[in-house]
Formats: sequence, structure tokens, C-alpha cells
Amino acid sequence: MWSPSPNMKVCFVTTGATAPFTALIESVLKPSSIDAFKDAGYTHLLIQYGTAKNVFDSSMGSVRSQLQPEAGKEGLIVGGFDFNPDGLKTQFKLVGDSKGVVISHAGSGSILEALRYQLPLIVVPNTALLNNHQEELAVAMEKSKYLLKGDIQQLAPAIRKSEEFRNKMGQFPPITSGRHRETKSFGAIMDETLGFLE
Amino acid sequence: MAPLLPSLYTLSFAIAFSVTLFIGASLRLLSILPHGPFRPQHLRRKPCPTRVLIVLGSGGHTHEMFYLLRGLDTRKYTHRTYLVSSGDAFSAQRAAEFEANLLKLENERHKKEWEGSINGARSRSRSRSRSQSIASEEGRGEREGKKVCVGPEYYDIAVVPRARRIHQSLLTTPFSSLYTLLCAFKPLFSAGTVLRDEPPHNAYEAASRDFPDLIITNGPATAVIVILASLVLRFFNVRGANSRGKVKTVYVESFARVKTLSISGKLLLRIVDRFLVQWEELEGKGGRAEFWGILV
Repeated sequence: MWSPSPNMKVCFVTTGATAPFTALIESVLKPSSIDAFKDAGYTHLLIQYGTAKNVFDSSMGSVRSQLQPEAGKEGLIVGGFDFNPDGLKTQFKLVGDSKGVVISHAGSGSILEALRYQLPLIVVPNTALLNNHQEELAVAMEKSKYLLKGDIQQLAPAIRKSEEFRNKMGQFPPITSGRHRETKSFGAIMDETLGFLE
Repeated sequence: MAPLLPSLYTLSFAIAFSVTLFIGASLRLLSILPHGPFRPQHLRRKPCPTRVLIVLGSGGHTHEMFYLLRGLDTRKYTHRTYLVSSGDAFSAQRAAEFEANLLKLENERHKKEWEGSINGARSRSRSRSRSQSIASEEGRGEREGKKVCVGPEYYDIAVVPRARRIHQSLLTTPFSSLYTLLCAFKPLFSAGTVLRDEPPHNAYEAASRDFPDLIITNGPATAVIVILASLVLRFFNVRGANSRGKVKTVYVESFARVKTLSISGKLLLRIVDRFLVQWEELEGKGGRAEFWGILV
């Protein structure tokens, strides 16, 4: 794990630990994505690849030369790990401190966790899964400005958009339900069901 | 003993008997099932020792459940029973962690308050108005008056066998589900922590030995079976389950369901007391689904 330094800017990619979304690893390490990261000033890219170390290694092999510093541009340092039994708190904190971004698969658990840290989040639905509601959730969440939806074929536009999105992202969980009406917490709903007097 | 009348063995009697039974059962079911959307009760009661049964499921459901419960008030919900499926160590561990955290927060709050009262006592000799403000704060604490119920005696983790194991044949699923149903009654009747042979020492213990007042779930398969078991208790009004207003049920559809309900949701839509959805598009499904914003 890298120690935080003032000039670093970190992108953290999580693909799901048990059944990793391997296409996301490939997509993040595509030349067009690497260009987008460099243009947006990223210095570090950290990938949780779960059980798919082989996919990570082979994708790294084809872009290694592109990661080196060039004239006028800094290089991009890429790191990977499989699984952290203590959770992803340090990774999320590093992103928050360095004003970076999180790119995640569209599992609801990962979405909720990243949003609790108030981090700009790009969610990439797995279009290969049938009968799965990842796409619907990502579209609805993007509409409410909680996150950006990324395309597995072409991640670069979402990476570029995330710089601007950082400043206009909506608060999650929302304070209002999006309508001019009373909102309730789940605790209040429980009390009401039992007829408890506040 | 007089022999049974031969007329009782006829087909027409059997038909009449089953039709009567069917009508009776339907009427009973109609009377205990909720009608239309939930309306808050007019009967407002003060929080009293209350047991809540929380049905946990596989990874995703359990995750969301603990987001839902993040503001849980242990002064109101004095006993928690977490129901997990056999083999789901993850959910059981999350429940234990959640309770450990409640205990930790309460200890920290206690410590702070204690330090505060020592400082208060020091300054009380100096300033009278300050001591008055502390006295009024204490007064407020008294009025709230409820004990914070955290620690091992205020929760338990109950395990029921899985309704359907991975790769289990569909043919045997009804039998294993029935077995799960039978096993689900035990945690409904009483929390697992109690010593049966002693009478309850206080109202908190009494509540933990009674039916849960509330069942909360967000959609694992086990939840359907547990809610079915609670319906049986209400149907036969076992130990006053229905007449005392016990085993109320709240279902929260997963935050990941934006446009359509899950299978558990569809099955329970007309059975649970309250059906909550987290996306506006699902509001009013079955004439009952309530939307109060994102709850997780």
C-alpha cells in the first residue's frame, strides 16, 4: 500500500472479490483509459482484482510501456491486490485524501460502501450478466447524480467526466426523497408500525 | 359409545365439510391479512420492552439490512433476534459485529457523560447557574427514562436450516422448505438466550420470551418462510399472537430493485403489514408499496 503524499492522485478500482468482473480489469488497463487517467492528472492506479490475478498480469503486460513518464507527462504507477480481509477502508481513504476517483462493479454492496465515503464513483454494469438489475440501478443512480455510469467498452469518457462531476455530486443517502413531501428514516417507520409515541 | 352415523361417511358430507372448512379458513385469512395500504394506528403507546426479529440473508441482503438498522434505538427495540440460515457464517458474524459496535458506542457515551458530570461537579461549586443547567439536563435524561439495552443478554442469533441448498433438486425443495418452516417457529416463540425453568425477572426478559413484536426482512428466501410461520401463529391466534398485535411484519425491497420487484417481494406483497420500496417507480405496487426515499 502506498503512503499518502501531497502530489498523488489515486484511482481505486474494485471488481468484486469472489467473482471478479474481469472485463473491468481489462477495460481500465486499455490504452485509451490510461490516456484519460494521465490527462486528468492521476499518478496512481490501484486495482483489486480478486481471484483474477492472471487477467491483471496479462493486461499489464500490454500497457507497461505506456505507463512510463514521457516528455511533459508524469508516469502512472499501477498496483494490484487480491483481497483485503480488513475491508477497503484504507483504499477509500487514500482516494478521498488525494481527490481521486473510485471505479467499481455495479454490486449494490460496493456502491453503498463507496458512497458512504462521499467519493466520486464510476459504476460499470456487467452487461454479460443476464436477468440482473445492475444496469437499471446504475442508470437510476446516475439520474439522481449520486454517481457516474461507465461503459465497459469505453471507460475514458467517464474518467474525463468525473473531474467535473466531483463538484456537483449529490449527497448520499439523500436528505429528501426527491419530492416535496415528508421523508422518514427506517427507524421512524419501525416506530410508526408499532404505534410508538416518539 | 354410539356408532357413528353412516351418513357421515358419504361423499356429500365430505364435500360439505371441506367446503365449510375452506370458507372458514378463507374468512379467517381475510380478517388477519392487511387490507390496502398501511395506515398508522391511532393507538399510540409509549415504547415498552420490545422484541424484534431481523431476518438476514446472503451477502447482499445482510449488507443492506445493517445499513437499514444503522439508527436502531436500543431503548425501544430492547431485544434483537437475528435469524440466519445454516452455513451463513458471514451474516452471523456481521450481526455480532453490529451488536459489539452498539455496545462500544454506548460505553463511550457513558464514559463521556461520566467525565462530564465530574467536570460539572467541579464547576458547580463555582457557578450556580451552570449547576442548574446540568440539573435540567439530568431531568431530561430521566424523562426519556429508557434503559439502553446493549450487550449479550439483549440479542441472540438463531439459526434455521436452509430452505434450498445450492444444487438441491427441485423435487425435494418442498420438503426441506417445510422443515425450515417447522424450525422457524422456535425463534418466533422465544429468544434463544433465555433459561426456560426460571420465571422472567423483569419486563425486558418477559419480552424476550414472547413473540417478536416486529419482524424485519429485506428479501432472502428464508424470510418468506419465516413470514409464513408468523402468519400461521396469527391464523390460529397462538398464545394471543393476533389479538395482542404481536408479530407485525415489515418488508423492505432491495435498493438494487429499481423497476421490478424481486420474487420474495412479489410473494410477500399482500401478506406483510408494511411493504417498503426504495425507488419511486415501484411506489403503489399491489396498491400497497410505500416509498419514503432511499432507506439504506
